[in-house]
Amino acid sequence: MQHTGKTSPHGEVSALLQAWSAGDQAALDKLTPIVYRELHRLARYYMRGENAGHSLQATALVNEAYLRLADYKRMRWENRAHFFAVSAQLMRRILVDHARRHNQKRGADFPHYSLEETVVVGPECGQDLVQLDDALQALARQDLRKARVIELRFFGGLSVEETAEVLKISAVTVMRDWTTARAWLYREMSGKPSHGC
Amino acid sequence: MDAERWKLVDDLLQSALRLPAERQQEFLQSACQGDAALFDEVRSLLTSHHKAAASFLEKPAINVAAQSLAFSQTQEIADPLVGQVISHYRVLGTLGSGGMGIVYEAEDLRLGRHVAIKLLQESEPGKSKLSLRFETEARAISSLNHPNICTVYEVEEYENKPVIVMELLEGETLEKRMKAGNIPLIQLLQWTIEVADGLEAAHAMGIIHRDIKPANIFITKRGLAKVLDFGLAKLSLNSESAMVTQDAPLTSLGVIAGTTPYLSPEQIRSDELDGRTDVFSLGAVIYEMATGKRAFAEKNTALTINAVLNKYPVSAADINPELPPELERIITKALEKDRADRYQNALEMKADLQRLKHAVESGLPIAAGMTAWGQRSRSKVAGQPRGFRYWILSIAVLVIVAGVVFGVFHHRALQLSKLSANDTIVLADFDNSTGDSVFDGSLKQGLSIALSQSPFLNIVSNRKVRDTLKLMTQPPNATVTSELAQEVCQRTGSKAYVAGTIAALGSSFVIGLRAENCLNGEILAQELVTAKTKEDVIPALGTAASRLRSALGESISSVQKLDVPLREATTSSLDALKEYTLGGQAENEKGPSAGIEHYQRAVALDPLFARAYSSLSGKYFDAGESALAAKAAAKAYELRSHGTDLEQVQISSSYHAFTTGDLEKAAADYERWAEMRPRSPSPHSSLAYVYTQLGQNEKALSEALEALRLAPSGEQFINVVSAYIALGRLKEAKATVADARAQKLDMPINHDNLYLIAFLERDHATMEREAAWGLGKPELEAILLYSEACTSSYFGELKESRESLKRASASAAAEDLKEAAASYRADGAVHEALYGNSAEAERALRSVPIATSGQDVQAAAAMAYAFAGDRSRAQALTDNLAKQYSENTLVQFNYLPVIRAQIALISKNPTQAIKLLKDAQRYELGQPAQVISLNMYPVFVRGEAYLASQDGASARAEFQKILDNPGMSLNEPIAALAHLGLARAAVLQGEKDRAQAFYQDFLQLWKDADPDIPILKQAKAEYASL
Repeated sequence: MQHTGKTSPHGEVSALLQAWSAGDQAALDKLTPIVYRELHRLARYYMRGENAGHSLQATALVNEAYLRLADYKRMRWENRAHFFAVSAQLMRRILVDHARRHNQKRGADFPHYSLEETVVVGPECGQDLVQLDDALQALARQDLRKARVIELRFFGGLSVEETAEVLKISAVTVMRDWTTARAWLYREMSGKPSHGC
Repeated sequence: MDAERWKLVDDLLQSALRLPAERQQEFLQSACQGDAALFDEVRSLLTSHHKAAASFLEKPAINVAAQSLAFSQTQEIADPLVGQVISHYRVLGTLGSGGMGIVYEAEDLRLGRHVAIKLLQESEPGKSKLSLRFETEARAISSLNHPNICTVYEVEEYENKPVIVMELLEGETLEKRMKAGNIPLIQLLQWTIEVADGLEAAHAMGIIHRDIKPANIFITKRGLAKVLDFGLAKLSLNSESAMVTQDAPLTSLGVIAGTTPYLSPEQIRSDELDGRTDVFSLGAVIYEMATGKRAFAEKNTALTINAVLNKYPVSAADINPELPPELERIITKALEKDRADRYQNALEMKADLQRLKHAVESGLPIAAGMTAWGQRSRSKVAGQPRGFRYWILSIAVLVIVAGVVFGVFHHRALQLSKLSANDTIVLADFDNSTGDSVFDGSLKQGLSIALSQSPFLNIVSNRKVRDTLKLMTQPPNATVTSELAQEVCQRTGSKAYVAGTIAALGSSFVIGLRAENCLNGEILAQELVTAKTKEDVIPALGTAASRLRSALGESISSVQKLDVPLREATTSSLDALKEYTLGGQAENEKGPSAGIEHYQRAVALDPLFARAYSSLSGKYFDAGESALAAKAAAKAYELRSHGTDLEQVQISSSYHAFTTGDLEKAAADYERWAEMRPRSPSPHSSLAYVYTQLGQNEKALSEALEALRLAPSGEQFINVVSAYIALGRLKEAKATVADARAQKLDMPINHDNLYLIAFLERDHATMEREAAWGLGKPELEAILLYSEACTSSYFGELKESRESLKRASASAAAEDLKEAAASYRADGAVHEALYGNSAEAERALRSVPIATSGQDVQAAAAMAYAFAGDRSRAQALTDNLAKQYSENTLVQFNYLPVIRAQIALISKNPTQAIKLLKDAQRYELGQPAQVISLNMYPVFVRGEAYLASQDGASARAEFQKILDNPGMSLNEPIAALAHLGLARAAVLQGEKDRAQAFYQDFLQLWKDADPDIPILKQAKAEYASL
């Protein structure tokens, strides 16, 4: 009998990431709660004792979450760009799911203390991630590349260069796409009823 | 929309965005040519673009989401406290979180009721018991029982942290309610009255809230206002901490984060507080409810503090004209800076609010000043406060705040990663809100100078910043805002950027510096200093910069050791610093000479401004004004004690390398510079060059390699190649050229290097190929023609040599390189004289402007005259050189000994000649000339002197030395003549066979030589007579 042993979180996440990037959507469903839990745990850990509104370590947090979960070195990514692309998609999924759940809960009848609103995409109330996600899907139907630029930069936190590297386009094109896509999304999202307000 | 049309929309949008905003509409109209749908589509995107510009999607989602993630209650993961029992409370779930802690819903296991419990965060981890004082406070708070105060049932302790057990409320905070839309006047008054009522009750018991703000006012589902967190501002601090007595309100209320602009002036000043502080804060809350804007909200903490202390907010009625003037009067009275002028208690304020509410409800006319307190005139509302008695105080406060900010961030910085030795930083332009343009640019310049004293910090050069801005499709002279700096920082692979602000505060100034990690936005260090007057701004900036250095991780001893006050390091005159900055900008925009007039003005404004003299000297030098350059350099050198340590060394090294020519001193300065900046390539490449000139070729190689290691560039590769050639290590030289090419760091001059290597390897095909490459290449043609001329001379083909030299000289002249053109002709004369064509040498020199040329031309001319036997002309030039270049190492210890020894030989005094050449021994393997090759002449002339003194053995050693250093003697005529020298030495030694062989070598070398060259005829005759 073959001895399988225990799957370490590293191994598990790496395997799921691999499966997902190979096209297995079910893997994503398994992956999301694991990454989410870790993110959540790390966020709590970091935020304890920090000022409210202190979002300084947010990016570090994501990096650390990945590093803890996925054995970056041992995983066989096609290249750096591939890893970025997968991370951005995963982050989009997690953050949007999180926002969606949060929105549902906000109708509940208990007092909210001065909790900063879930995810304020822009200064105006109502532009939240769920809406953005919908708008982004609509944009992808019109112009897939522009939607991916937004996904990589906004959800993946990638720089212009990194985005250019992933999409194999020039940095100037990234900036152009970014500008147009942002205007398009803003228009799409304004005037729609918001989830949060 | 189909893809084609979408592309059109995209293109039109992008084109429109490249135009100024006011022209975009017009452009679209003409571009859409009556296609109204297209026009509408693009215009709506354009509108969205402008609306979205400021903040939409600006920060990565995770930045905003992280906090929410941290505190959110989720299905997947429960807070570890949920389900736990604390004292007799079972935690049911999280409700939310405030600045001071997480709030849970819990069940009171004794009474069966649901409560809210709040876990305060530890102010000092590790402190054990809650203090007595805490308990006293806690008891007082829990005794408050009022319908408009969220009741605190009790205060418990859990794992050494205070736990507040309080009334569970349903509803939302006023903060959230305000976001939802305007609050009707009656509602506003009702809630405010209720809050004032609650405050009154608490004040009566001697409890002050200290943190009245919209987030601490709760509107229940039934529409009742309740004040939250009474007294917690004080409780949340550990009473034994020194901060409590000194600056508790500041730290506890988050002034540092700049989120709480509801503090009273006395809170900022850390005065003893009474109930009137809450009156002030409530005034600020009413203002916000009435106008939708914060009463005191500036872009940073320093300015907000200044506003609270010294400014009245914009009249509420100006923002919301529908407000009754009486409400404005109430707000104004509550917001009086001096609490003696304010409502003396919440009761007075409540009474006015109630009167107003009554009047509004009953439709009575509401007149301003309807009460006896209405004497405060409207005009003060938006104006300056009475007098300026606060500003002195406020500076004191700011110093405290700066101390707190510094303390807090310094503390944090110790835990976080700071900068390490290889990190680079980017400087942003100062955000100057003073309206005084003298601070534009000059402060960044000052900061740059102050920070560059640090061997620890590497500041990204202005040039690199400009190049990066170009890549970002920004104009290269764009103001580097924090946002741009962050992006430049990321693009240049830097770790952090430093942004500065300056703001006026009365007649004084507040200067802020902030260093931020550009990858994750983490604030690494933050400094705030004040300057009482404009004159104090530079010293204050210096102080802030020094503190920033240590906050960023530099060791204190290093900061103390290398910390020349900024005023001395630059100038005490802001105007002079401004001119200096403008000079740098003008150079970048219009070329080097454009900076000259600004630097002239800078030194006129401050005659002690060493750095400006130094820049002026460099620009004069570039502009060919060598006399003025020397004068300015001397002045900079004289004033150098005013500079930073590094600057002193830099000024001194340039002065010695370029003005006096004392290369030993220059080398010592560069060595010192390299010690001070171990990671800077420039002192190493300068050392490589200086050591090459001095003949310390091994050292030159190691310095060149070090410079290359630190910062690979075309120039550094050239230095390495040259050093290898000088040492005769040709394989390595070739490999280095190949390396440079592989790294795309090849430079045209490498063709000349390859030519010389090919010469040494007698690879004629390569020589021809490289020489041909140079033809028509402006910067290289003259150089390769000169190399070809030397080769021709080396083989005795003088006619061809003359032709090549003529072309080299013409090519240089066409490039306006007068010195080079003269050098080529003077060197031609040296070749003629060496070969015995005295008349030709003298003729050639007639066309050389010797007197107005530099040291190389003068020396070459003097050598040509001396070799031609013209003692008087050689002597005259020698005297001039000796005087003009009295401290110049190469002139004094290379050229002059050679010329003087040759003059002694004319006088048949070889002993004297040998003695004179002793001076040159140390430098005889150096390369003294710039564009021509005058290497190893001391050795050659010494050999000649030994021949003249009949010392064959010594002569032979000298000539052999020339042949043993082919990388130095190259294709120079003396390298050919060394063979003849060996032959003659062998004759003197009586070694006939050897002599014969040496003569044959020479004659073989010159087999294709012009037959009429005197020295050839002489050699043939000597050979025949053997």
